[in-house]
Amino acid sequence: MIQLSFLDYLAIEGRSFLHRFSPKAKIVGMGMVLIGIVTLRSFPGLLLLYGIMIALFFLARLPLKIFSLTFYPLIFAILFVSLSGFQIHFMVIVFLKVLSGSTGVVLLLSTTPYPLIFRTLDRFLPSLFVTALFLTYRSIFILIKILEETQYALYLRGGFQWGHPWRSLVNISHAFGHLIIKGIDASEKMYESMLLRGFKNRIHYRGE
Amino acid sequence: MSHIHLPDGILPVWLWVLGFIIAIVLAYVFLRLIRKESLAKRLPLLGMMVAVMVLGASVEIVPIAYHVNLTVISGILLGPSLIFLATFVVNVILALFGHGGLTVIGLNTLVLSIEGILGVLFFRLFWRIFKRISATTFLATVLALSLSTFSMIGVVSLGVSHYEELIHSGEKEGIFEFKLFKGDHHHHEGVKGRGDVDLKHFIVIVLSLGVIGWCLEGIVTTLICLYIYRLRPDLLKLEGRKV
Repeated sequence: MIQLSFLDYLAIEGRSFLHRFSPKAKIVGMGMVLIGIVTLRSFPGLLLLYGIMIALFFLARLPLKIFSLTFYPLIFAILFVSLSGFQIHFMVIVFLKVLSGSTGVVLLLSTTPYPLIFRTLDRFLPSLFVTALFLTYRSIFILIKILEETQYALYLRGGFQWGHPWRSLVNISHAFGHLIIKGIDASEKMYESMLLRGFKNRIHYRGE
Repeated sequence: MSHIHLPDGILPVWLWVLGFIIAIVLAYVFLRLIRKESLAKRLPLLGMMVAVMVLGASVEIVPIAYHVNLTVISGILLGPSLIFLATFVVNVILALFGHGGLTVIGLNTLVLSIEGILGVLFFRLFWRIFKRISATTFLATVLALSLSTFSMIGVVSLGVSHYEELIHSGEKEGIFEFKLFKGDHHHHEGVKGRGDVDLKHFIVIVLSLGVIGWCLEGIVTTLICLYIYRLRPDLLKLEGRKV
């Protein structure tokens, strides 16, 4: 989650050809990748799609550090390949679909600043929904900051230790409780400042 | 555990399209139930609670592939109507972070909202019975999570014949295949044995890991609720609580 701010930094500071592409074209491209994932069923087809995604990743000159993010969804995919009794062919197909999708998403997020993604989505989706998405994205950064401040208090109380599961659970839960209360306070302040700036159920983006 | 972490392209098209249609219709109905002014005022709160759920989901308990959803506590704080919209948004964000594919967002919204809405209703019901935060929250969370896990298993089991086709796709020629509705002419259907879908195996794994996850999340949600009850009891909107 902490990588989110790094992805944002890459999206704003990056200078590759993919960064210069219009957000609309990239969202349409992501849609095409999704269509490919849904329709492709053979190993060569999926391998080709994944190969294209990897090539785009390197052409976009993104740091290798964030490539590891594309492997994260494999944790959950392992549970579902048990459906086939762990057959190699099914596993390879599922893993290629997972990796193509996750690489596409990482590419989109690391080459397009999030206000531009939301501005583009605002043209296709209900503005209320996009506003909720935008506020969530903003809130994640606020909460990460609160969490970083809480971390020291958490360490002082013992933090998370496998040897003390109950104390760890209490600490984690209290951290979340603290996060929720602080988050609610922050959301009230956010609403007041949005109201002062003329908020009426919709966020207006630069260039509109 | 209680929502679908399936990647794109695994579930049949008719299933995830239906999931999107039902989720959009329900979102429209729930939004009509909320007054416009009240919604504008609560949008930042909704965004904040969704962000809390997203952060909760990022704390992965690796050995059992489980993460807390915090849907029940969010439902208690947001109410049953707003929690539906919140689960929709949280699933979009989680899909971007790799928790299930983008095409599964509609189905995941339905599964996760079952957890959120039932969680609130159970919480209110059990509060009237027990009048104790710990018992009320733990029971409401475990019950809501177990029901949403069963609904997830139900959704996954609807696509069994599709998974079988996918397992056998290596034996076919051609690269692309697109079917909106499943045909009844497939030569593998009805033939059990080599390469068939092992749904029982999947259910056993999900439920055995799920029980641990439900209890863990039940404890975490209870402790969070107790923390909030101590500091800001007004947020829990408890009926008949002595001030």
